[in-house]
Amino acid sequence: MAIKRVNGIELERMLRAGYANLRLHEAEINRLNVFPVPDGDTGTNMTMTLGHGLQNAVSSTEVGPYLKSLSAGMLLGARGNSGVILSQFFYGFSQELSRAALIGPGELRNGLIRGYRSAYESVLQPVEGTLLTVSREGIEHIRSQITRSSGIDVILSMYIAEMRKTLSQTPEMLPVLKEAGVIDSGATGFILIFEGMLRYLRGEKIDAEPLEKRASPAAAGPDLSLFDENSEFVDGYCMDFLLQLMNGEAYSRNFRLQTYLAALEKLGNSIVCVQNDKRVKCHVHTKKPAHIIQLSQKYGEFLTFKLENMQVQHNEHDRDAQPARHKPLAIVAVANGGGMRALFESLGADCVLDGGATMNTSSQEFVTAFEQLDADEIAVLPNSKNIIPAAEQAAGLCRNKRVTVLPTVSCAEGYFALAMDIPDGDDVEKRLTQMRRGAEGVVTLSEATASRDYSYHEIRCKKGEEIAFLDGELVCVNEDWKAAIVNALLLIDGIEDLETCIVFRGSGVSEDLEAELADAVAERLPMLELEFIDAGQEIYHWVLGVM
Amino acid sequence: MRKFAILADVTCDLGEELQKQYDIRVLPGHVVLPDKTEIPSQQKWELFTRDEFYAELKKKPNDFTTAPPNTQAFVNTMEELVEEGLDVLTMTISGGMSGTFSFATQAAKRVMEAHPDAKIRVVDTLRFGPGFGLMTIYAAKLRDEGKSFDEVAQYLEENKNRFHQAGWLDDLSFVAKKGRLTNAKAFFGTLAGIKPIGEFDYNGLTTVIGKAKGAKQAYAALLAYIEQTIERPEDQIIFIAQTNRLPQAETFKQMIEERFHPKQIHIKDVFPACGVNIGPGLMAAYYVGKPISKDLSEEKAIIEAALASK
Repeated sequence: MAIKRVNGIELERMLRAGYANLRLHEAEINRLNVFPVPDGDTGTNMTMTLGHGLQNAVSSTEVGPYLKSLSAGMLLGARGNSGVILSQFFYGFSQELSRAALIGPGELRNGLIRGYRSAYESVLQPVEGTLLTVSREGIEHIRSQITRSSGIDVILSMYIAEMRKTLSQTPEMLPVLKEAGVIDSGATGFILIFEGMLRYLRGEKIDAEPLEKRASPAAAGPDLSLFDENSEFVDGYCMDFLLQLMNGEAYSRNFRLQTYLAALEKLGNSIVCVQNDKRVKCHVHTKKPAHIIQLSQKYGEFLTFKLENMQVQHNEHDRDAQPARHKPLAIVAVANGGGMRALFESLGADCVLDGGATMNTSSQEFVTAFEQLDADEIAVLPNSKNIIPAAEQAAGLCRNKRVTVLPTVSCAEGYFALAMDIPDGDDVEKRLTQMRRGAEGVVTLSEATASRDYSYHEIRCKKGEEIAFLDGELVCVNEDWKAAIVNALLLIDGIEDLETCIVFRGSGVSEDLEAELADAVAERLPMLELEFIDAGQEIYHWVLGVM
Repeated sequence: MRKFAILADVTCDLGEELQKQYDIRVLPGHVVLPDKTEIPSQQKWELFTRDEFYAELKKKPNDFTTAPPNTQAFVNTMEELVEEGLDVLTMTISGGMSGTFSFATQAAKRVMEAHPDAKIRVVDTLRFGPGFGLMTIYAAKLRDEGKSFDEVAQYLEENKNRFHQAGWLDDLSFVAKKGRLTNAKAFFGTLAGIKPIGEFDYNGLTTVIGKAKGAKQAYAALLAYIEQTIERPEDQIIFIAQTNRLPQAETFKQMIEERFHPKQIHIKDVFPACGVNIGPGLMAAYYVGKPISKDLSEEKAIIEAALASK
């Protein structure tokens, strides 16, 4: 049955569901953020803005008073560009409904209209392809279809559908979005709020962290090492403040928002400024914060003030962003264990698939990975004998890209192959040769505890004994794991001349044992340099790559 | 002819002895330690030893920062020298890595406005550390030979591109993070066992021109590389820089001596002003040779051939 009216309590629950839905997708929205500068925090800003409003709102059965307190909280808590616009939307919405006890279809329609208008007014130069466009078209396209008998849920679902339609077109409206291959982040967040509200009306539950005060992400602080004496400073500062207009002698009492805005416009951009009685909430990007402080203090004093160097955020974003840029060569590696995955990712693998001694990667997984990578050619490091066939089969199934499987039989070979890659060139053949050369001549030693009695050629082991393999062949059995490894090392041809050994420590193996192993090896092979990686592979306690 | 001073910023890593021997004035910068105390960056180990410093740096790579001498510091020193009746030939760390060159240039402008007779020039060496230091020594030697201020400055501008680096940087995380490496993003991550070989590029940064598997292959390739790029080694002073790779530097020194018989060869420490930004993994020789090609294509080809030969 259609829902005809909601009261203040219902509305509060709807908004809390909207918040929960936004919170659920916060990280996703952060990743979408490319406008106006890639400071990467739209999702967080919107979540915190709405969260602040909800926390400070006073519950009421009547819609008007509830919205008034919500909107005041949002105005005060608004963070960032999108947060300010969002708060301004709700300000307009609350203004429209200030005297309403209930929201019916007409109130909802008028509120949504007043909301987007208020949002537009708050921005000096409205940019289409953002939250503004979505909120405007969402209601304008359906307003004529809303009648006295329309249900609130029906209106919301039409509103959301229209907004989704517009959202999909945002890349066409804003070149920066198209370039980045994303839809607008603020608009996405906005729609998610309304979707959460609708889901509440439909009786669905949203699993998200409950509303609570959480530490501002800025508390941890941006990585200041990303800005130093050599950094370019082009993005300026992001200023966010709440100005209390004052009555004292020292202050000019004829504050006019339009005049103030005109002055601000000369000092900065991305300006969002709203006045709520004797308080002015302002967001502005500028390279000259002092001028804006001076201007503002003519009229009053700051209640809150935030100043952030956007270049740091920009640089952080650049560092963290992994845009799916088209590549001449993409690399798919198979890893077993979290540390190993991180290792291959840090070395530049574009896609790391799970796979190991017992859980072999399927062709389907490879094919899916190949399809998703935006590259002309693909190199695969299967890093296990058991995975090479699936990789090769997948390579045969891949029609539109040339796939080369570099038959690495261990993570050690895969590591040396990838570490030798010099990814700055476009010469794919050269890079493949370089990687093949990397894997060449690497001897892999693996050590594990025997899980059952076993005999192989001349060698026998009993369950529970320590066993060592060289390139997959069982060569040593011993009570002591160190002895098994050292004895196996001594079997390697020309080991006295080898100098490099990379050691992958398996899951559940204590880090303290690294020193023990290093000592045991140094006793017999003093020239061999061991370097350890906390790889976390299963089954094998240790995997050593020697060359 | 007026005498002139050679003024270099602290990143030239000459060490106090060579500073004195070649009469090179060195202007300290600043280093901020993890406990937030700021100390002048100097070319000596005072508060800590080399090993202590690099061990701490490895542990807390983000907690050390450096700052070059600022414009005022340059102004003060330049004025001092000018008042001694000297012209000032200033040499600074690569502009690709630091803002020092522009600080010194602004300072020179200010001092020359106040002292219209004074002659001050600033040369961007496009080098850092002992590579930069080597260039200051070449300038000092020319000065000792009686070359004029302008002649020495001209020599530097025309020949700085002939100062080579042949060595490895086996911990690239520092340079990559601080933007001191061309195409840095491609070189993050652990590189256990691999020796990336770096040469100076046209922008005054380091570019990885090849990768060797292990130190042995790296030494062999580097010697082959030096052979094909050095000119008249018997007349040269060669520097070997090492941040925290002394045993390797000693091995390399011996190899270079045996093969090229340079006039002199010194192992040089890299002090905190550069060391903070390079990390513990540098081991490289600096010498004068053929001009470095614009895109490093020739140098890459040489190292590639050297690495391919067994």
